[in-house]
Amino acid sequence: MLKSKTFVKKTRSGGVMKVVREHYLRDDIWCGSEVCTECKQESTVLQEDACIESNLCSYPHYLVPDTNVVLHQIDVLEDPVIRNVIILQTVLQEVRHRSAPVYKRLKDIIHEKEKHFYTFTNEHHRETFIEREPGESANDRNDRAIRVAVKWYNNHLNTLKSGPGGLKVVLLTNDQGNKQKGQEEIEEYIKSLIANPELVDRLALSDDNKNEITSSKVLFPEHLPLSKIQAGIKSGSFLQGTFRASRDNYLEATVFVQGQGEDSTEILIQGLQNLNRSVHQDVVAVQLLPQNQWVSPSSVVLQDDGTAKDDNVDKDEEEKVLKLSAAEAARKPTGKVVGIIKRNWRPFCGMLNVSQIKESTRHLFTPADRRIPRIRIETRQAATLAGQRIMVAIDGWPKDSRYPNGHFVRSLGSAGEKGTEEEVLLLEHDVPHQAFSQAVLSFLPKMPWTITPEDMAKREDLRHLTVCSVDPPGCTDIDDALHCRELENGNLEVGVHIADVSHFIRPGNALDKEAANRGTTVYLCGKRIDMVPELLSSNLCSLRSNVERFAFSCIWEMNKKAEVLKTRFTKSVINSKASLTYAEAQMRIDDTSKNDDITESLRGLNKLAKILKRQRIENGALTLSSLEVRFHIDSETHDPIDLQTKELMETNSMVEEFMLLANISVAQKIYEEFPECALLRKHPAPPPSNYDILIKAAKSKKVEIHIDSAKALADSLDVAKVDGFAYFNTLLRILATRCMMQAVYFCSGMDSDFHHYGLASPIYTHFTSPIRRYADIIVHRLLAAAIAADSTYPDLMDKHKQSALCTNLNYRHKMSQYAQRASVAFHTQLFFKTRGILNEEGFVLFVRKNAIIVLIPKFGLEGTVFFDTKDKVPPSLVFDEEGPTLKVEQHTFHIFDQVKVTISLDSSNIQHQKIRMALTEPVIPDVSVPAPEAEPQAKKQKLDR
Amino acid sequence: MATVQVSEAEKVYILHGIRDDLRVDGRGCEDYRHMEIETDVVSNTDGSAKVTLGHTAVLVGIKAEIGKPRPMVPNEGYLEFFVDCSANATPEFEGRGGEELGTELSNTLYRVFNNKHSLDLRSLCISPGEHCWVLYVDVLLLQCDGNLYDAMSVAIKAALFNTKIPRVNISSDDEGGKEIELSDDPFDCMRLDVENVPCIVTLCKVGHRHVVDATLQEKACSVASLLISVTHKGAVTCARKVGGGSLDPESVFEMTEAGKRVGKALHAPLMALLRQEESLGMKRHKVGFLG
Repeated sequence: MLKSKTFVKKTRSGGVMKVVREHYLRDDIWCGSEVCTECKQESTVLQEDACIESNLCSYPHYLVPDTNVVLHQIDVLEDPVIRNVIILQTVLQEVRHRSAPVYKRLKDIIHEKEKHFYTFTNEHHRETFIEREPGESANDRNDRAIRVAVKWYNNHLNTLKSGPGGLKVVLLTNDQGNKQKGQEEIEEYIKSLIANPELVDRLALSDDNKNEITSSKVLFPEHLPLSKIQAGIKSGSFLQGTFRASRDNYLEATVFVQGQGEDSTEILIQGLQNLNRSVHQDVVAVQLLPQNQWVSPSSVVLQDDGTAKDDNVDKDEEEKVLKLSAAEAARKPTGKVVGIIKRNWRPFCGMLNVSQIKESTRHLFTPADRRIPRIRIETRQAATLAGQRIMVAIDGWPKDSRYPNGHFVRSLGSAGEKGTEEEVLLLEHDVPHQAFSQAVLSFLPKMPWTITPEDMAKREDLRHLTVCSVDPPGCTDIDDALHCRELENGNLEVGVHIADVSHFIRPGNALDKEAANRGTTVYLCGKRIDMVPELLSSNLCSLRSNVERFAFSCIWEMNKKAEVLKTRFTKSVINSKASLTYAEAQMRIDDTSKNDDITESLRGLNKLAKILKRQRIENGALTLSSLEVRFHIDSETHDPIDLQTKELMETNSMVEEFMLLANISVAQKIYEEFPECALLRKHPAPPPSNYDILIKAAKSKKVEIHIDSAKALADSLDVAKVDGFAYFNTLLRILATRCMMQAVYFCSGMDSDFHHYGLASPIYTHFTSPIRRYADIIVHRLLAAAIAADSTYPDLMDKHKQSALCTNLNYRHKMSQYAQRASVAFHTQLFFKTRGILNEEGFVLFVRKNAIIVLIPKFGLEGTVFFDTKDKVPPSLVFDEEGPTLKVEQHTFHIFDQVKVTISLDSSNIQHQKIRMALTEPVIPDVSVPAPEAEPQAKKQKLDR
Repeated sequence: MATVQVSEAEKVYILHGIRDDLRVDGRGCEDYRHMEIETDVVSNTDGSAKVTLGHTAVLVGIKAEIGKPRPMVPNEGYLEFFVDCSANATPEFEGRGGEELGTELSNTLYRVFNNKHSLDLRSLCISPGEHCWVLYVDVLLLQCDGNLYDAMSVAIKAALFNTKIPRVNISSDDEGGKEIELSDDPFDCMRLDVENVPCIVTLCKVGHRHVVDATLQEKACSVASLLISVTHKGAVTCARKVGGGSLDPESVFEMTEAGKRVGKALHAPLMALLRQEESLGMKRHKVGFLG
């Protein structure tokens, strides 16, 4: 049977078009129930004994949620208890229309066999299709369609020949109108479920409940409707931007407005009213305030930590603090949020603040991310959840509520436990860390994997070369190997062999997409989140010793002065002769008694590397410094038992030099071949103002730093020495590192500035770590296409798609660094937890208005010593911006001053445990603390080990 | 125009018959052949009608699109006509054979219908000088058996009656920019007032008398014919002579009078029929093209 669906729509040019679609109805759509004997279905989804024990519906039943239930209560539907659910096509379509993430989750549930979710295509069923009637809105029509389908199901199941089994279909809805027509409300239904009390918590708060929760007083101005916002943005009276809450002050935020091209502005938003229920990362519309109301960002740290404040009571008080600090001078454009264009809510990790009132079911939830406001949730299991890390989703933020309303999603485990904390930091940094899906794994080569003669025909056989790899200890994803040999003409042949990952990951398949999304492998302390499945990363692609592996080789002919005479690239097969650690390689080079091929090769490489490094430094490459720590992890408890700063050996820089050379050679080649779509990496020169702090700091020690060019900076850093202060140079370099910009990936067709400032190279890319970076895979593909070893594909040559990919890679890269840092910080805390209070020597790295930041070289640890604590009378503080110096009582702190501090773990706030430092030397009365007596003997032994 | 060959003897027979007010198919001189009308036959138009008159069959589809008003009349919409002489109708139309006729027909239709006396063109205006509805009237000749004009005019009137134009609102922001907003209810639409839309009556001079709704044979016997468009009140809005022969003033006067009479008689049952069909609503059983 044929029906037609007619609707009118507006075309892009402003016209109006009538669209008519043919709609076929059929009579061979089956009900999907196991009981049914009439439907000629091949397999059934819905079970015969569909029992969810419920007080409300004591008979076996199937559930039919309506659209709003699916949209708002997807967390409940995901629970394993909820089974035998019929998802109507009407509902599915509406959900897809209204929320892509929920749609995806719903599809996932439907695919899960154990859940017994059945999609019924009621829109194409002859008996359940209905046409929209005059005067009926689209929503009403859909509601009617749902009711008709439910009715049909009930009739269908009742008139079975096999006799009615008492099976019924229950419509779950939140809609009053629907309810009056005799259906169940989701809230009541869930509450009626026996033995599943925790499910109630997952219920999202619906609109009608909110009045009970909050006082009826309106706290926030109404958000403007989208149409008005759009009109306002068009006319320029509103600005659209991303809302970024301040980490330190919950009453302050900036909205980042992307202007045309490069210029973008930041608008300051201050005060609860003006923030108007925006949450970090939302896209909002902002209206600028008149200039006389502009303020300057306050430098006060304000945390919203009152316990469950009553709405609006001390609002004025809170904001008074802000007003005071608004100095006349540094005023910034200030505005207020008038509407939300797009919410960017995700489930947030955090902890529950249990309400002081016993038996209360409403509690506040404090997210781990300080930029997210606290969320009010309803739960009956507060006692169990206290002390656990949980995830909470925001449902809405009514204008008469101080906090947004949300609901409990799931528990991650007890706070402070390693597994839980790791999970939290992965989630908070948006690191995809689920196990690889079956679809992804299906693209892996079948084991046992062997090299076929066809493979050999296409590749150069380099198995006879003395190739070896040098990596940090414990490395299983070896993606580079080297060789060096003398040629007959006296020149040297140097080869860098990189794992040929692009041979295994073909463009466009699920494996490729997953890797592109992950972007990079994330290394946490004692844990690695792989970008590609382990079979590739640790086996087939890893260039382990004494196995034949595919490689992409970059081979130079060099003379003894390390001048490159010839460069060629080839896909190859290699057989690494040894996998060495940096230390092992160093020992071989230093051990004069060894003269085997590997050692000779290493010595050759080392010699060349030294020359290359010298040349590079002469060109103005920067040698910067940052302290990296390594934890010694207990093999059983996986707790850190010791930590030490990483030391660098000659061999480290040897490998690094050749990797740089390979990257530069490849960058030149692919840019030459594909000037429009080469994926490169650049490091922009920082603006001179970035160096202010470095220059000031150096000046205080009578050292001058030149920043006119990278070369000048490198030279002045080299000569910067202070007698009797050996660590000074390292400290300066650490400071210089902080002045730098982020290096980023970009597509050569979309940018004109290619310069890599830090390496002083006009062009650079990443080629040498395809196992752990996706950018390298793309570069491999480009290079393979350039030497005609592989074919290209459309996306590779599309500069806009490449550019979009770069954006993702840069984001993932940044996030992985943050995650890494967070992981180190967490392990540092674990380490100090068992150490008690330590007394250590450190240097002042920065001087702030009310604090100094101290670096402890021994642990590579940075911490803040505050001078104004809340409970004490603050000492007299005089801050001089020029120095910068801080005078505390009689003592003046300069940058680079040597101090002694105690280190302890402050776990007063379990969610934000931090390292607390307190001054012991120099001794300032009432400020410094006495040094701890002597460290406990047992602990000390462990340390010295 | 599609023609048939008629022998002298046949001509005399037809002529004599008409003289005695008895036509070959048994009709009187002012009688129409059997007529069938169905509206809303093409779903992807905004209004459509199919009319068969004897063996003549025409299909009219109307599409409403947003356009810019003509500069001379900024507060009026307008109609555009296109007549497609399909080769289905007669083999002569094959290739570009029907083009000339098509142009002639559409020009005539434009003259007859596109004026504010026959249709309230102001109601088609959305915002003066900027947006108005343009009604594209597409006429498709499915079969030619004489008297195309009358059949087309009836079909156009029926299609205009059937036309549903989506209702639009103009929202303006403070800067003066205007945006067209569309109601999301497909049943929320504007109807046209077709009360004053005229019908064309073609009178063929055969011998000393004249006939309406001439068949192809009768047409072959006639030297000239007169098109008169008549409103339901009997007002003549347009008259045009077609054919090679000449008409004396007296017979022009007579024919006009007859045309008024016939036209008035045609309107009343037509409107009744259309209203009756409309009142059936969605329950109406559609006949379509295969019925």
